[in-house]
Amino acid sequence: MDSSRRSFLKKTGAGIALFTVAPRTAFGKMGGDNNYIAPSDQLTRGVIGVGGIGNSSSHFVSDQNCRLVALCDVDSEHLSKTLKRAKDTFGETPKSYTDWRDLVHDPDIDIVHIATPPHWHGIMACEAANAGKDIFCEKPMTRTIGEGKRVREAVKRNGSIFRLNTWFRFKDTFYGLGTTVQPLKKLVQSGLLGWPLTVRISGATGFAWKFFWTGKENLIPEPVPSCLDYDMWLGPAPFKPYNRHRTHGTFRGYWDYDGGGLGDMGQHYIDPVQYFLGKDDDFPVRVEIDAPQQHPDAIGIWRNITYTYADGCKIILEGEGFESSGKVPYIEGPLGKVYKGFECTIPYVMDVINELPDPEPTNTDFLECVRTRRKFSLNEDNGYHSATIVNMGVCALRLGRNLDFDPEKERFINDDAANLLIRQPMRGEWGKLLR
Amino acid sequence: MKKIITLILTVLTLTFSLQAQDARQRSVETIIGDVLAQMPAQNAATLESDMLDLVKAAPESIVKLAAMLQSAEKGANNRIEYALNGLTNYATKPGNQIWKTAVKEGLEQAIAACDNPVNKQFLESQLRLLGKPRGRMFDAPFDLQALANRARQLSAGDEVDRCKALYLTNIAYGAVPEKTLLKAVTDPSRRVRTTALRRYAPATEEFAAKVAKRFKKLSNEGKVDVLNWLGDNKIASQLPLILGQVGAAKELGAAAIEAAGKIGGNEAAEALIAQLGGDNAPAALNALKSFPGQLGNKIAAALNSAADTQLDNLVTLAGAKKMSGSADKVFELAAQGNESALKALSGVVKPTHISRLATLLDQAKASEVADYTRALSAALKTLAPAEQYTTVRKIISGASNKARFYPVLALSGTDEAVNDLVAAAREGSAEAVKALGKTGNYKAAPALLDAARKGNADALKDYIRFVDNFEKDVDRKCDAFANALAISQDPAVQSNVLAKLANTPTAKAFAVAGSYIDKPEIAIPAAEAAKKIAAKCVDDLDAGTKKDILNKAIQAFQARGMADDGYAVDEIKKMLSEMKDVSPIFTLSDEEKKAGFEMLFDGSNLDKWTGNKDGYRITNNEIYVTAGYGNGGNLYTEKQYRDFVFRFEFSFVRPGANNGVGVRTPHGVDAAYDGMCEVQVLDHNDPIYAGWLKDYQVHGSVYGVIPAKRITHKPLGEWNCEEIRVQGDHVTVTVNGEVILDGDIREACQGHNVAPDGGKVNPYTVDHRNHPGMFNETGYIGFLGHGPGVKFRNVRVLDLTPVKKAKRR
Repeated sequence: MDSSRRSFLKKTGAGIALFTVAPRTAFGKMGGDNNYIAPSDQLTRGVIGVGGIGNSSSHFVSDQNCRLVALCDVDSEHLSKTLKRAKDTFGETPKSYTDWRDLVHDPDIDIVHIATPPHWHGIMACEAANAGKDIFCEKPMTRTIGEGKRVREAVKRNGSIFRLNTWFRFKDTFYGLGTTVQPLKKLVQSGLLGWPLTVRISGATGFAWKFFWTGKENLIPEPVPSCLDYDMWLGPAPFKPYNRHRTHGTFRGYWDYDGGGLGDMGQHYIDPVQYFLGKDDDFPVRVEIDAPQQHPDAIGIWRNITYTYADGCKIILEGEGFESSGKVPYIEGPLGKVYKGFECTIPYVMDVINELPDPEPTNTDFLECVRTRRKFSLNEDNGYHSATIVNMGVCALRLGRNLDFDPEKERFINDDAANLLIRQPMRGEWGKLLR
Repeated sequence: MKKIITLILTVLTLTFSLQAQDARQRSVETIIGDVLAQMPAQNAATLESDMLDLVKAAPESIVKLAAMLQSAEKGANNRIEYALNGLTNYATKPGNQIWKTAVKEGLEQAIAACDNPVNKQFLESQLRLLGKPRGRMFDAPFDLQALANRARQLSAGDEVDRCKALYLTNIAYGAVPEKTLLKAVTDPSRRVRTTALRRYAPATEEFAAKVAKRFKKLSNEGKVDVLNWLGDNKIASQLPLILGQVGAAKELGAAAIEAAGKIGGNEAAEALIAQLGGDNAPAALNALKSFPGQLGNKIAAALNSAADTQLDNLVTLAGAKKMSGSADKVFELAAQGNESALKALSGVVKPTHISRLATLLDQAKASEVADYTRALSAALKTLAPAEQYTTVRKIISGASNKARFYPVLALSGTDEAVNDLVAAAREGSAEAVKALGKTGNYKAAPALLDAARKGNADALKDYIRFVDNFEKDVDRKCDAFANALAISQDPAVQSNVLAKLANTPTAKAFAVAGSYIDKPEIAIPAAEAAKKIAAKCVDDLDAGTKKDILNKAIQAFQARGMADDGYAVDEIKKMLSEMKDVSPIFTLSDEEKKAGFEMLFDGSNLDKWTGNKDGYRITNNEIYVTAGYGNGGNLYTEKQYRDFVFRFEFSFVRPGANNGVGVRTPHGVDAAYDGMCEVQVLDHNDPIYAGWLKDYQVHGSVYGVIPAKRITHKPLGEWNCEEIRVQGDHVTVTVNGEVILDGDIREACQGHNVAPDGGKVNPYTVDHRNHPGMFNETGYIGFLGHGPGVKFRNVRVLDLTPVKKAKRR
């Protein structure tokens, strides 16, 4: 019987209430230190995947609000380097794991941070939810529509808190637009631009699709480096001989693991659009593509991807090198247009916007959400929707054709092959964890 | 039995392969070869016709294609993979079902014949796509009773189990029974309570009423959960319960306030406004900012009867939400020195307040000037610019603190305002310089640059912003940013400039950005700029320089090592791997050697040239032109020539690029007029020339004298060959093997290179201008810069001038 602290708390549900009911500020006042947080109130976090984003400075944090207690990677060099960095930075060495399942089932961990390539996200998120953990998942949420659906279900089933990590819907200047999303949301909601709206995500409006993340065909097999557990790196992905270009940063160029620039940046760019169009509970009904033929393994470039909602709203993605020329609006409606830098055809638009009520507040402090069990601003529901938009585009590109989508059934219409891409087979026994 | 099947298969295959002889009588092998040559198809139409060819020959075509797959070590499968995947996609396309059987059969045969596991897996993945999607996520036939039993067991478990119990109950009964839900809402675990409310509770008035009955018994934390749920679902019927808690302390009060703010309505508004004075004021202010509906009248009314503690928040809200109905009260409070009111003024004023604000600003205490200026600007801004200007001029003439009005004078952005401010700046007014930065009129830029050079850091920032916003010419913009980088040593300013420089993707900008990577504080912005410029540079970059700078950029990104830096390194490595080959070093052909040609530029040096070797720089063994027009920036041969054959290759890099070959010209003059002539070099089909370019200006023309035949050049970046032959008065121009001009220059103007009457208009030349140098006996050959974006290589000349004559000179 595991008798560690977490396990004890978990097994006695009332215990949590007893500990957390005392507000942290109360402890603070007693201790004379306003920032003091009782150890029982401190959250703990374990990170799976410490190569790229998992090792980035914005995520490499450990403080009294949330301690970094465990790291996991299948590349022993990445792992040992990051363990050392943690020791140097935070003064304590986190536990280390090479099998992520051990981290997920570690009773000392509250939050599982998934920072692996996308082909793992679905399985890991489901398993973490089933272990009662809360989840911080990097974008894109999942690599297939079906996996997204499973994650959503697992999070619901276990009462977990899920955060998908992109943030432009609630903070920061939105790439080339030079504005946060909030005033766009207010303007769109006000109806001043009319309806339906067309949103153009393009180099011409300030967004880069990072076409340098294309894959290479004819990869020559190479010996697997001794530091890498390639079988565990691949996990659910089909076995293909190792070549360094498949792994680490360049994995983004292969359909087995991601979706190129569209997969990697798509949710960053599209999620805020879904938010300000008020489509968090909706899906496009059609995706149209203009692209050269795609290779079945290595992802190539594309010229244009256009999504259409049932009410006529459109999201247009323009590939790098295939942007509309001249000055094109980011948002275009029958009554007005918004350009880069919030230039707008409506006079004194900022005055107009200021008069409008701010958008309804959402919960943007993930740790606070974990404590109060409130849904995070970008969660398993709206995150699943924006991930699905990206994955619809991926399906259309892979099949080289336009697709119709049924938002009720969450399936493509009259296209068996496209529906087969919604749920893809997984290697070995991994698919069993997707539940 | 097996034999028979094989036999049938063979027969089938034969039948198909007989049919597979397509309309063009091609064999399957030929069809495969033709299609593979097209892979990957660049557009849908090509793909469609390729795949139709292949699918008509299926299954044989598939079996044969698959048999061509080699082991991955050979690295040669890509086209075959494109073709097979293309076939799968074709056969699964709605409407193409008739092909499905043949493709499936082909894949099955291919899989049976394949002994390479990797290729086999690929073929199987294709076969899978031809199947039927099976099952939905939760359509397994559940034993509902078993689920309900399992749920009962779990409901006695830990908090996660209790959540699972709710989930299973929901499936077993189609909904969680009310009794179970109400129990969950009072569960000691917050996870269970919030899961029950968010996931399974009906957001109805009836259920909310039942929850409300139990509200009192809940812990504070449980109350917060319920309030959050009521607010998130906007259950207005429970507003009384919510409003009963808005005065509560800490989390409870904050939750009630948030919920009331989401639900809205008069009562909620009043309750929230009432909270603007106490401990809950920050939460109330936030809730009111997003409050659905109009608050103007309520805020105005509240302002008139507000307690002192509420005033600050009320006026702040009035200002933020542009409640002009509260203007008088805000003016009154501002006059009493209320700081919040001073700040809020700009939000509530209208043009009718202009003169009132002008007086207040003129007489304001120093600490109030900024707020009154903002307010006056807000009141003025809806007037037309000209009216703004005259209004402010009038104010200034009657004001005692004239400089205080410079910022609002700048607001109009008119040329007159700029002139007034430049004049004031010349007289030493720092306020005027500052105001120039607010004009948003590019005419203010020289004065700002002037001030920046004298050490005014704010003027420099304004200058940078102006250049960025208003300068349209990419080269001038780049020069301006290079200036700014040289003026300031402040890393923050330099980083900002480098980010903007990245949007002027020229060779010069690349070099400038590259030169700052060595400076540690700004290495990353410089590397970012270099990367961005290299990715979309409008000029050719010298391969050596490009590699050096990009490698330096990689080092800078690797040294920082954040997540996005990995992306940047990937991007640069891709650029480096895709660099084009440089031009070779040219030698004369045997025929040219025999004829006596001389190599003038073989790619290695400009030793046989004089003039602007900076604007005509050797780049990748080519002469890349960046020199502009009229700055004396031409490149001339060292020797002079009378009769000659001049051969070279040229390529346009920037669309619309313009240059020219000067013939028998002295240095430093306009060869088209003061030399014998200029043979035009111009990307004349660029849209910028559409509709106005004259015949005698198209490529190859003897400029202004003899029009050439209008040709279509090779695409940007590709090389064209040209020969210019000059003998006596005769000029022949040949481009890509085609003679496009062959004429006598003396005949063309009937001997009148200048107007017979000595005037400026010469009726004998097609451009009606004088060409005094036309009959020069000899002179240099030169490349005549008209801006960046054209390149030359393999330049050679044959001197036809009789040796004797040459010696005499």
